[in-house]
Amino acid sequence: MDFETIDISGDAGIKAYGKSREEAFVNAGFGMYSLITDIGNINERQEIDIEVKSDSIEGLLVSFLNELIFRFDTYNFIGSRIEISDLSIQPPFFIKAKIFGEEFDVERHERRLLVKAATYHNIRVEKTGDKWEIEVIFDI
Amino acid sequence: MSLPEGLKRIDENRLEVPKGYKPGMRTNGIIYVDTVLEKDLESGSVEQVANVATLPGIVGASMAMPDIHTGYGFPIGGVAAFDIKEGVISPGGVGYDINCGVRLLRSNLKKETLAPRLKELADALYNEIPSGVGSKGKIRLGPDEEGKLLLTGARWAVEKGLGDVSDLEKIESGGCLDGADTSIISQRAYERGRAQQGTLGAGNHFLEVQYVDEIYDEKTANALGLFKDQITVMIHTGSRGFGHQVCTDFLEVMSRAVQKYNIELPDRELACAPFNSPEAQDYFAAMKAAANYAWGNRQCLMHWTREVFMSVFGMPPAELGMTLIYDVAHNIAKVEEHIVNGKKRKLVVHRKGSTRAFPPGHPELPAVYRNLGQPVLIPGDMGRASFVLIGTEKAMSETFGSTCHGAGRVMSRHQAIRQAKGRAIWREMEDKGIIVRAAGRETLAEEMSEAYKDISNVVDVVHNAGISRKVARLRPMGVIKG
Repeated sequence: MDFETIDISGDAGIKAYGKSREEAFVNAGFGMYSLITDIGNINERQEIDIEVKSDSIEGLLVSFLNELIFRFDTYNFIGSRIEISDLSIQPPFFIKAKIFGEEFDVERHERRLLVKAATYHNIRVEKTGDKWEIEVIFDI
Repeated sequence: MSLPEGLKRIDENRLEVPKGYKPGMRTNGIIYVDTVLEKDLESGSVEQVANVATLPGIVGASMAMPDIHTGYGFPIGGVAAFDIKEGVISPGGVGYDINCGVRLLRSNLKKETLAPRLKELADALYNEIPSGVGSKGKIRLGPDEEGKLLLTGARWAVEKGLGDVSDLEKIESGGCLDGADTSIISQRAYERGRAQQGTLGAGNHFLEVQYVDEIYDEKTANALGLFKDQITVMIHTGSRGFGHQVCTDFLEVMSRAVQKYNIELPDRELACAPFNSPEAQDYFAAMKAAANYAWGNRQCLMHWTREVFMSVFGMPPAELGMTLIYDVAHNIAKVEEHIVNGKKRKLVVHRKGSTRAFPPGHPELPAVYRNLGQPVLIPGDMGRASFVLIGTEKAMSETFGSTCHGAGRVMSRHQAIRQAKGRAIWREMEDKGIIVRAAGRETLAEEMSEAYKDISNVVDVVHNAGISRKVARLRPMGVIKG
């Protein structure tokens, strides 16, 4: 889980890293989840499949994270493991993944931030050297 | 922080961002800050004022209120008006929390009557008002029911028995924007909104029991039903996940529209479409539905608040006198008529972290406030104060009838948490006579007073600039946070 949080006035962001783009996307997902709660306390009791399309790699990252936010905000589902089965970073941009986790329970899980959406503000998805780097800011 | 280079001071309350500050600016920018708040001005937010000035069809200046800080695309505290024929509408100029806003209730109770019961009251409110990350609301909307809410706003709640018909006239736009269209709302937005009606949310949203500690304008305060040491209740929340999903959905639509209509943008979060295009009209109709969701939400929360007061104090409604003073939207776009260079024009006014401040006599004001002007409600942080102001003619001529919306953060969440380390914020608040109940473990640290600008400084600027006038100051006593 290679990610760190970005400290900005008003909202919050994350930087995520990976040896592959899949790993960087997975870590971005973990980074986002860790803004909501301590993911160390999330068990694998359910799994969901997600599939997201977009017209750019930045768009794909935003849509992927917004899908996780939607699943949390609508069905209280929060993940602790993400498996990406397919990721295309050329047109047509798409991602297919399985998320393992459980229903968020205010009695057992720490309540951190209410994440409204992933934004395009200063967004970055880049390969530097042999490492992939992602930077994304969330509206809180 | 020193003043970003290239800005010019117009007068003691305003800075100009000259037209040449950035390439592509079609007009100048005006930021309402005095020399006190100027020190907190971030270069990123100035840049955003300049970016908004590049958008097609902008009328007048790209403006920002003294609570300005960096947002996405538009700055928070931003006001921008666009011609309805040549201009655009932008979801970024409204924000993710569509119709985030504030409502204020008065009461017949005095501070000293309430003080001994404050803890009991705060606990009861915290139990009754769903708040915080992952909280479950008491309402589940079926598709038909949700559709009705999206079309009728606060009236939906009143028809469900939550509140009184007389509440409606004291809500901006009567608590409902006409022209919402449910057929263009995505399935996801419907789903996300199903269980979130009647919930407070988290972050800076709150429900606060307050008292009137200072009156600046006796006559107006009196007309609003406010008096010294009186108990009031302020509710600050918006359209919850429903509105966030509408914004998310339409940012995608708009980013395609930008290409289709060949609009050059300095920042992707400014994505917009010509106001007359189908994309823009769809967004506007969806935004109205989200605005109505928010008015329904604040109506539900107010009703439950009244019920808690009735049960804690054992008083009937007439004796409690908990009537609505007003309800304002501070994240919204509206089509309004304004006089520009002597000519009446229809404009789509974006207020993102800005409150409408219409003057006495304006036809959009309800009959009860027609001669008084529009009440303006400005929430501060949980430890200092909130304000009631009134709209003015000068706001109409200078800022498209707009003023500030709140304090604005000066500290990031982590900075606040670091500063709060080793301190018990709840106890510091209790020492000041303020009882706080919060769902999140770190909410109190993140939301402590020092993390925000001093609301008094912000309000002084808009008062001194004449774009709204101070009526009363409210001090917090009991605060419910997410």
